[in-house]
Amino acid sequence: MTGYIVKRLISAVPVLLGISVIVFLIMAMIPGDPATAILGSYATPENVEKLNRDLGLDKPLVQRYFIWLGNMLQGDFGRSFSLNRAVLDEVLERFNATLVLAGTSFVICSILGVAAGVVSAARQYGLADKAITFAVLLGISIPSFFLGMMMILIFAVNLRWFPVSGMWPIYGARDLSALVSHLTLPAIALAVVATGVIARLSRSAMLEVLRQDFIRTARAKGVHERSVIWRHGLRAAMVSIIPVLGIQAGFVLSGAVYIEMVFQWPGVGRMLVDAILKRDILLVQGGVVFVAACYVLFNIAVDVAQSLLDPRIKA
Amino acid sequence: MSFLRLLSRNRLALAGLIVMSVVVLLALLTPILPLPDPDVTNTAERFKKPFSEGALLGTDHLGRDLASRLMWGTRLSLAVGFAAAVAAATIGAAIGVIAGFYGGRVDNVIMRGVDMLMGFPYILLALAIVAALGPGLLNALIAVAAVNIPFFARNIRGVTVGIAHKEFVDAARLCGMSNARIIITEVVPNVIPVIVIAMSTTIGWMILETAGLSFLGLGSQPPQADLGSMLGEARSALITNPHTSVVPGAMILVIVMAINLLGDGVRDALDPRLKSGALSRPMPTTMVRRKKPVPQPEGDGILSLRDLQTQFHVKDRIYKAVGGVDLSVRPGECLGIIGESGSGKSVTALSIMGLVASPPGVITGGAVHYKGEDLIGAPYETLRRLRGDRVAYIFQDPLATLHPLYTVGAQLIEAIQSHHRTSTSEARARAIELLKSVRIPNAEARVDNYPHEMSGGMRQRVGIAMALANDPEVIIADEPTTALDVTVQAQILALLDDLRRERGLAIIFITHDFGVVAQLCDRVAVMYAGRIVEEGPTDAILNAPAHPYTARLMACVPELGQGRRQLAAIPGLPPVVDKLPAGCAFADRCPKAASACRSGDIDLGPFGPARKIRCIAPEIPVQEATA
Repeated sequence: MTGYIVKRLISAVPVLLGISVIVFLIMAMIPGDPATAILGSYATPENVEKLNRDLGLDKPLVQRYFIWLGNMLQGDFGRSFSLNRAVLDEVLERFNATLVLAGTSFVICSILGVAAGVVSAARQYGLADKAITFAVLLGISIPSFFLGMMMILIFAVNLRWFPVSGMWPIYGARDLSALVSHLTLPAIALAVVATGVIARLSRSAMLEVLRQDFIRTARAKGVHERSVIWRHGLRAAMVSIIPVLGIQAGFVLSGAVYIEMVFQWPGVGRMLVDAILKRDILLVQGGVVFVAACYVLFNIAVDVAQSLLDPRIKA
Repeated sequence: MSFLRLLSRNRLALAGLIVMSVVVLLALLTPILPLPDPDVTNTAERFKKPFSEGALLGTDHLGRDLASRLMWGTRLSLAVGFAAAVAAATIGAAIGVIAGFYGGRVDNVIMRGVDMLMGFPYILLALAIVAALGPGLLNALIAVAAVNIPFFARNIRGVTVGIAHKEFVDAARLCGMSNARIIITEVVPNVIPVIVIAMSTTIGWMILETAGLSFLGLGSQPPQADLGSMLGEARSALITNPHTSVVPGAMILVIVMAINLLGDGVRDALDPRLKSGALSRPMPTTMVRRKKPVPQPEGDGILSLRDLQTQFHVKDRIYKAVGGVDLSVRPGECLGIIGESGSGKSVTALSIMGLVASPPGVITGGAVHYKGEDLIGAPYETLRRLRGDRVAYIFQDPLATLHPLYTVGAQLIEAIQSHHRTSTSEARARAIELLKSVRIPNAEARVDNYPHEMSGGMRQRVGIAMALANDPEVIIADEPTTALDVTVQAQILALLDDLRRERGLAIIFITHDFGVVAQLCDRVAVMYAGRIVEEGPTDAILNAPAHPYTARLMACVPELGQGRRQLAAIPGLPPVVDKLPAGCAFADRCPKAASACRSGDIDLGPFGPARKIRCIAPEIPVQEATA
């Protein structure tokens, strides 16, 4: 197992390099002169030139990439001019908040989505199946930011069950119950779309599996139908559901940007949008590379989980 | 044409189509509708409620008419979403076709890049692109199109790889056509349907995503507004004037939902697997719809079938897989059922315990008596208690019939614990004992193997061990040795023979192999087109087959050391069981067929003291029946 993990980690190196190249190239496409963008249009030519030199922008593209990469590997993601703070410090702080939100959402959508898919498949064409299918359709069609706004309106403003926004109360203790009450609405709003997608794919994965011969064998053994569905069916279907969970984790992680805007959640997505609007390129660059790298590592974890679940994958 | 008919039959998709048509029509007509200018501000009239004087949907925070802004915003959102979809589809398809058509290194390099892009969290990549290009609707469009290109490229590549190796492409190449021309005239027309399906399933996403970027303030810039930026601007007044948020938000929901409904409909209509209804899962027991009265038990068999009828209902067609089968088996007896593929022998076996996949299987008549109790139509719980406990199955192809993700030990333990309350350690000891009893060497270690770690013969033994787990009284073995080589087959037959002698098991053994029947079975029933055509003691039938079909079937079997004999294939094919001829089903292939064979139903009548036959022109005189 350790060998497999090491192998997967090594295979992630080219992917991570590829991601850094893509991000670097996208940022290099920026029209105009970044120094002018930073200094504003009243900057003197001397100042622009000096900043360009300071930023290393007078060097050729390839050289700039390797300097950037080398600095990143040493933990130097540059300095955000809008916040006047090291990019990595800011990203790490914000990423924590995003991780709390996206992680909770991911747990919600995985459990609910798979359960809904299994029930839907087991009761194919029945009332539960139809109700779930309709709910799923609604879930994957509603924009999460609109859903979030409506949830604020109903559950925070009218019913006053939850706070309107933020991660912590402005006054009062920063304890778990405060976090949970702030987290509930945004986590659910973020989970809805992914739940729908997971439910849909779990349903078809289950339908595929339930037609297999080994399901008939289980029934011929006299295994109770509940076990046939949840033990035999779901276990086999998980093999094709897990990769979907991995993909949806990416959607939840990056879709968090909308929810963070709506709920004023101090996460990395909101930081990115602010940075884009302020043209704080180093902050965008650092944030995107960091989150994408985390996602690559998460996908390795998904692969490892897959190999634990399916003994046919040689570990 | 049939595609449109299929689509129209899907009511939800039709509803989506209608809603979408109305929205698109309104969006197209917006410039000529009598609407106020969407950008004229009037702060004195701000935040008017919906249905108020002069403003159907009210006004926003700058006093602009919401109905007018909604229509113009919808127009913009649709246009941008559609443009992004077309751009992504075109570029993605071009990349996919090139990668798939040329293959090799080109394919490798392109697909590596595509995989890399797909490894990005989706919206993050769009954000990075917008960050580079700067906020703006066109840039948002480019970003959304760009992040969707990999999806199209990968889909289209897969289809193109399939097409690139088809005969008509080779033919075009031999005609001296250039690659570019082959791509345009031969490949592209064939991938267009796939592009359409992919577009119909993603265009909703693209509208959502562009709206999302606008919502974040990274898309359309004021005063121009699409639905997303309307929602983004309304956010600050969410609590005081929710209607300014609800109006654009609900519109996005309606549009995306209609597109998704329509997209699902298009996909279902074009996906041939769904057309045939193959994607439905079998229920826990076979459906029973008996119209005629249920036959009473008779005879001394532990398990007896009386006039059993099982059909498959596929759309308007009815396949009579089992058309009235009578069988009986006594304790310690082995009954063989022999016939060609499709003769209904497996369906007969599966019907006994309600294991025929349903839908489409339906048991439409007859009874199966186990110790006098009718199993057809018995409640699920009754069947479940008997399954694997009193009546156990051994299936063909144990790689498919054992669960691939559980160890054989876990599957044996489960078989025991489904019927007996025992501790897992006790059940495990019993599982090892069972594996030993089917002569699996090193059973203590083998018990923790997964099915894929065992050989075919070993897996089949596991299947037998599982059937024996609860000391059943009846074993139904459905071609358990077909997939095995001859030496393993002989071992397994010997094993089954020992077991029935030691434990007094009744065995129903289904096969198409006369050699197996001769070795193991006391009696044999020959099936053809869903019915038994001949039944009796094995020796008597093998020595002197009476039904022409049995005789022809045996003539097909090569025998060792008898090389001079001519192997005679039976001319013609078995009848399709949804259009059975009147009279004898074998008449069309039978050299002796007379007009009487085709007129009425022929009964399975007695033939000598111990045999039965469904034929009016037997191969041998009845005096020789006991030979």
